[in-house]
Amino acid sequence: MRLKEIQRTAHQAWSHAEHHPIHLALGTSAQQLDASFNTTSALEIFEVDFSDPSLEMQLKGSLPTSNRFHSIVWVNYGMGEDGTGGRLVAGSENGTLTVYNPEVIMSSGAEAVIGQSDKHTGPIRALDFNPFQSNLLASGANDSEIYIWDLNNFSSPMTPGAKTQPAEDISVVSWNRQVQHILASANPSGKAVVWDLRKNEPIIKISDHSNRMHYSGMLWHPEVATQLVLSSEDDRMPVIQMWDLRFATSPLKVFENHTRGILSMSWSQADPELLLSSAKDNRILCWNPNTGEVIYELPTTNQWCFDIQWCPRNPALLSAASFDGRITVYSVMGGSLKAQQQSTADTISSSFDAMDPFGTGQVLPPLQVPQPVVQDTIVSPLKKPPKWVRRPVGASFAFGGKLVTFENPKPAPVQSPQPVPRLVFVSQVTTETELLQRSRELQAALQSGSFNSYCQAKIQSAKSDAEQDIWKFLLVNFEDEARVKFLRLLGFSKDELERKISKCLGKSFQHNGHGVDAKDLAQKMQQLSTERADEGDAATPSSVSPADFFSQTPKENSNFQIPVSCDTDGLISQALLVGNFEGAVDLCLNDGRYAEAILLSISGGEELLKKTQQTYLSNQKNSISMLISSVVTQNWSDIVQSCELDNWKEALAALLTYAHPEDFARLCDTLGGRLEHERTEKRCLQACLCYICSGNIEKLVECWALHRDCASPLGLEDLVEKVMMLRKSIERLRNSEVVVQSPILAEKLTCYAGILAAEGSLATAMTYLPEHSDQAGITMLRDRLFHAQEEAAGGQQPPNSFNRANVSTAKPTPAAQAPAPKAQMMSQYQPQAPPQAPQQQQQPPMPSFYTPQTATNSGPDLPPFSHVPPPSSTRPASRPPYPQQPAPAPGFLPHQPFQPQRMPGGGPSGFPPPGPSMPAANLSGPQLSPPSSAPRGLPPMPSPGVPPTSFMPSTSLPSGPISPSSQPGAPVPMYPGGLHNQGPAPPMAPGPYAPVGSGYPQGGPGAPAVKPFSAPPPTGPHEGWNDPPAVRGGPRKKKVPENYTPPAPITAPVMGFPVEAPQPRDHAQVPPGAPQEPSVQLLQQLPAERVEQKEIPAEHMVLRSTFDSLVQRCQLAAGDPQTKRKLDDAGKRLGYLYDKLREQSLSHSILNGLHEISRCVASQNYQRGLEVHTQVVSSSNFSEISAFMPILKVLMTIANKLGV
Amino acid sequence: MVSVINTVDTSHEDMIHDAQMDYYGTRLATCSSDRTVKMFDVRNGGQILVADLRGHEGPVWQVAWAHPMFGNILASCSYDRKVIIWKEENGSWDKMHEYCGHESSVNSVCWGPYDFGLILACGSSDGAISILTFTGDQQWDVKKISNAHTIGCNAVSWAPAVVPGSLIDQPSGQKPNYVKRFVSGGCDNLVKLWKEEDGQWKEDQKLEAHSDWVRDVGWAPSIGLPTSTIASCSQDGRVFIWTCDDPAGNTWTAKLLHKFNDVVWHVSWSITGNILAVSGGDNKVTLWKESMDGQWACISDVSKGQGAVSTITDTQQTEQ
Repeated sequence: MRLKEIQRTAHQAWSHAEHHPIHLALGTSAQQLDASFNTTSALEIFEVDFSDPSLEMQLKGSLPTSNRFHSIVWVNYGMGEDGTGGRLVAGSENGTLTVYNPEVIMSSGAEAVIGQSDKHTGPIRALDFNPFQSNLLASGANDSEIYIWDLNNFSSPMTPGAKTQPAEDISVVSWNRQVQHILASANPSGKAVVWDLRKNEPIIKISDHSNRMHYSGMLWHPEVATQLVLSSEDDRMPVIQMWDLRFATSPLKVFENHTRGILSMSWSQADPELLLSSAKDNRILCWNPNTGEVIYELPTTNQWCFDIQWCPRNPALLSAASFDGRITVYSVMGGSLKAQQQSTADTISSSFDAMDPFGTGQVLPPLQVPQPVVQDTIVSPLKKPPKWVRRPVGASFAFGGKLVTFENPKPAPVQSPQPVPRLVFVSQVTTETELLQRSRELQAALQSGSFNSYCQAKIQSAKSDAEQDIWKFLLVNFEDEARVKFLRLLGFSKDELERKISKCLGKSFQHNGHGVDAKDLAQKMQQLSTERADEGDAATPSSVSPADFFSQTPKENSNFQIPVSCDTDGLISQALLVGNFEGAVDLCLNDGRYAEAILLSISGGEELLKKTQQTYLSNQKNSISMLISSVVTQNWSDIVQSCELDNWKEALAALLTYAHPEDFARLCDTLGGRLEHERTEKRCLQACLCYICSGNIEKLVECWALHRDCASPLGLEDLVEKVMMLRKSIERLRNSEVVVQSPILAEKLTCYAGILAAEGSLATAMTYLPEHSDQAGITMLRDRLFHAQEEAAGGQQPPNSFNRANVSTAKPTPAAQAPAPKAQMMSQYQPQAPPQAPQQQQQPPMPSFYTPQTATNSGPDLPPFSHVPPPSSTRPASRPPYPQQPAPAPGFLPHQPFQPQRMPGGGPSGFPPPGPSMPAANLSGPQLSPPSSAPRGLPPMPSPGVPPTSFMPSTSLPSGPISPSSQPGAPVPMYPGGLHNQGPAPPMAPGPYAPVGSGYPQGGPGAPAVKPFSAPPPTGPHEGWNDPPAVRGGPRKKKVPENYTPPAPITAPVMGFPVEAPQPRDHAQVPPGAPQEPSVQLLQQLPAERVEQKEIPAEHMVLRSTFDSLVQRCQLAAGDPQTKRKLDDAGKRLGYLYDKLREQSLSHSILNGLHEISRCVASQNYQRGLEVHTQVVSSSNFSEISAFMPILKVLMTIANKLGV
Repeated sequence: MVSVINTVDTSHEDMIHDAQMDYYGTRLATCSSDRTVKMFDVRNGGQILVADLRGHEGPVWQVAWAHPMFGNILASCSYDRKVIIWKEENGSWDKMHEYCGHESSVNSVCWGPYDFGLILACGSSDGAISILTFTGDQQWDVKKISNAHTIGCNAVSWAPAVVPGSLIDQPSGQKPNYVKRFVSGGCDNLVKLWKEEDGQWKEDQKLEAHSDWVRDVGWAPSIGLPTSTIASCSQDGRVFIWTCDDPAGNTWTAKLLHKFNDVVWHVSWSITGNILAVSGGDNKVTLWKESMDGQWACISDVSKGQGAVSTITDTQQTEQ
């Protein structure tokens, strides 16, 4: 494709490869005249600028010269750091060799000529510079003259050796491209000489015996040192010969295609498989010298091209100088000529002053330049893709921090018969090693439930006091007597205080031990309250009867006067005498006799007492009165709302000591809010402590984000650790899962999940992803995580998290048409429920227990537009909608023995059995609205300490609609509908977070030290934070026997086994992240039952013991739920293997393979085991082994990963 | 930091030119000078040949996966001047569309963000860029930018879908006003930004810094910040990071990431947009990350040597 063109009759030289921008130097050529017979000559430099689409080249500098040129080269000698400069060397018709500075020419400076020599006696046709030492230049002229010039010392050239005889014109000189001291020269008579400059003599001569080769060009192979090509100008032999000096008696190859003599050649330095030649047949060809094939023919003019040159810098470009006086720049990459021609026309058109070309002052219509017929000539590119477009290397990121890289080994010079392996590497890139480490620790803590030690460790390693404080507070949440400990953390120690009080009162302090003994303290408090109660008891009667009151007064004076005068005393007496307490109190107050006033008002009834207190307190203005006031009136709002923020500790302490559980959280939040409002970092940290006390995750996150960096991965890790711990502690106290519907937390967790995903921790990332969000970004990430996890291969039905736009080749739908705007697209992302879904939901028997429903009761006909993928549908969110009436289903009671076992975990047992209804249930998963999420947790427990394991479902369920509050915890799972929809609601403070406060049930006024509710240690299945509470364990059992036939392998059901039977298949459908612990228990039972059927042949028992122990080892070592799930699955699937073993139905080769694998496993050589596995699989009947072989592979892979 | 978890022997009979994982990172598509496109299931560290796509008549330069919401679709471009869009139907891969609108080698294909629908940009050595939009009914609408880069376009990369002036997604129901933009690099040493206005593609910016062919460009995924970031690499060995903070997208500043000693062929952003992988002619892959103070630092050197199958290189071992 023609790119640039200019009218010049000239020799050409490209600027060298390092030169930027690309320039083309043109020197008026000798022995050619144009029609004007102009004999001036010049050296011109043009810039070849391809950002300008026109055919023009911009003239950058011009220097008139006295001679015309036969040859011109641009040497990178003297090149500047920036790649500019170098030297132009030109050989003229009269033998003058001139060195120019192109920079000076371009800047029109005076001293453009740097050196000049008249050594040559005739026209200098040959010039070449040494590719290794750019100061070395070879020139050839007539009379066999060859000089080697050193640009550093231009005056005295050397010769490569004695002149060849007979004396001839030198048509070409060429430096070897590999060996720097080798030079070759050739002459038109058909001789070529190779010179060794170290020996200063010719070392080999090449001559064609046909005598018809008239050498016009000669080039060394760019890469092979011993090869060169020679072209012949003779029309009788228009060929290119390739010679190899290792065999210099005849040419290696002869390239024949030109029909007339060849004038010029150029060998691409960028791709040795591209050799250009131009000839008198008006053609310019590009050869592949390796094959001799013409791979390109330039669409050229009908003129001879006497000089052709590849552009050293841009390998796709070449310039051709033709005898019709044109210099043309072409690209060999093909393309259309259209654009260029169009722009040429534009240039012509605009070169006239269209407005007023004749200066007449009259505006003429635009000049109609006859447009050349735009031919839409398509020029095809090189047949062979040039080397420089063949990308040899690449690295692309993929989801999950994977990096895909490939490289192509440099082609060996000698073609080896061995095919090169073409490899692509998939690597895992991790950059946040610290984050991953901490995330693992967090995961471990979350899964093992060792929160205390986790917090302890955090306290140990905390870098700042503030950080330490926060962890201490978080830790306390996991401990008993949290409030007391909070107090101590705030600097209020009861012991310490006691000591101080004693000191103050001058009593000797008596203490019965060191530190705080909880029991002791509790006893003390018990005593205290009993005493108080006694006092109260004693006082009560006195308030009833004034007489009694007086009877208790000290009777030191046997006689006393009752004043009845008209002064205050008298009036008081009189008032008392007539029983006017109010008046008496008023009088006392008025007189400043507060003590009397209080005493009297105690007798005067509660109302009076209160009034008196108020009056008293409103009159008192000292520093502690506010506190006293609050303590007396129990009005803590005032304290938190108006205390000095510097007193936040005291305020918080007061709350911890006195605040009612129902108010506690709210008050803490208020205080936190005030602190946060100050917006200083210190206050924000203090606010965080308040939120930790109140268990308000959302506020904690917001506040934290205000002043801490959450953008950096580690900053985020800091936050997530705290949030998860706080959440855990709340769950522990509430004994149920906590779902926080906070946009900011969701955002942070999503971000965190994103980072984990990017680091390759896909399974872990999944666990952090907010569950009940239909936010586009979260849904998509969840989908991506799900599908990205390699294990998803195992036959699970992946959730269809977004609507696949239909771009079927067969039948497109409008939905997929047109670039849809995002809103529309996102709605398409919503899942498409299988058509049967709504229908199913309307069949009460089917979905009644399984169709998840929003707590807001949107009903069974809720269209499944809001998407929650399966993981969440196993969550408590999907509380069954229907059982608002207790439905002691037939067939339920017999299964009760399994209840307690399954109850605590819920988990997959609550998962619908497989079947057509399954996807519908999944996809129509509801969206929980934030307010509804709170009541979903267990109600606050007024009678703490009832461990969930003590529930007796068998009694609770049939007993009808009991209020959940009457039997905390127990009925809820069994009777999900009741919690929300009927029965006296348990006392619930307003707002979703209120139940948190009730997690401190001990915190009644005046009873801070009562031993607090200690939740039973979480039973195993409770450990995963994402374990759902056992919501649907019971009801679902009803369905299974009705419409589900247990899979065949389970042949000996024990009691209730039909119910459990579907479990494995249920399980297989549980998406990653879903809890599965209950099934662990279940699966562990399975083998035991099977043993009873039939023994595994003794010789194969080793298989079982090896594999089972491997599963166990893995289970112990496995951290993430994903792996655990797989291991559970493994336990089950191995059962199939054992079945086969019992039946002795496996072929000999498989058995051998299994034993081999077992040996590998035993020796922990999993790699080898996998290899054997592959062999077995590839050589066996698939149906025979499909039940268990895949899981063996998974198992070994896991084992390998875990290093067990 | 970087450890090989899977080595896939593609059995290609000639140079591999591109290897791309699908959206989930479970399937690998490769293309080669042997004119084929291959697809592997690489889950669990394995390699299962899923498809061997034949249809190109020249070396295949690049492959690109469409977003899975449109189905399993792969585009490939070749020296044979063709772009082929392949689609999986019922488990088998077939040509969905063949585009022959270029006059020279098609060097780059890139799918636009899914928000824009099924839209593909193709850059060719004929200097033009084609934008193909699926309009349904097996129809593809073609818009062509002629002479986008004189003497050839080497790379195209879409901008993430961001509504100008808004960082957050607009409430659903409101029609988001996306501006479609992409970046291209070419043999004119330029990086150019293109913008669709009133259905027409216009040159939006021309970024000059490279002194030789721009080999690849990569528009970084949006990380929720108002900054747009583009990486460009060149024959001149330089990699530039271009950033633009102003909402109008007019002021771009270039920062030199590094000057390599060899051609830099390819740049690739991590999914989260914080790491840049740079692959050079010396068969070396380096990973770069921006530090807090805005400096780009090399965090890893993924050199494996010539075809060697080493899991971790020495430098990485010392790092670990």
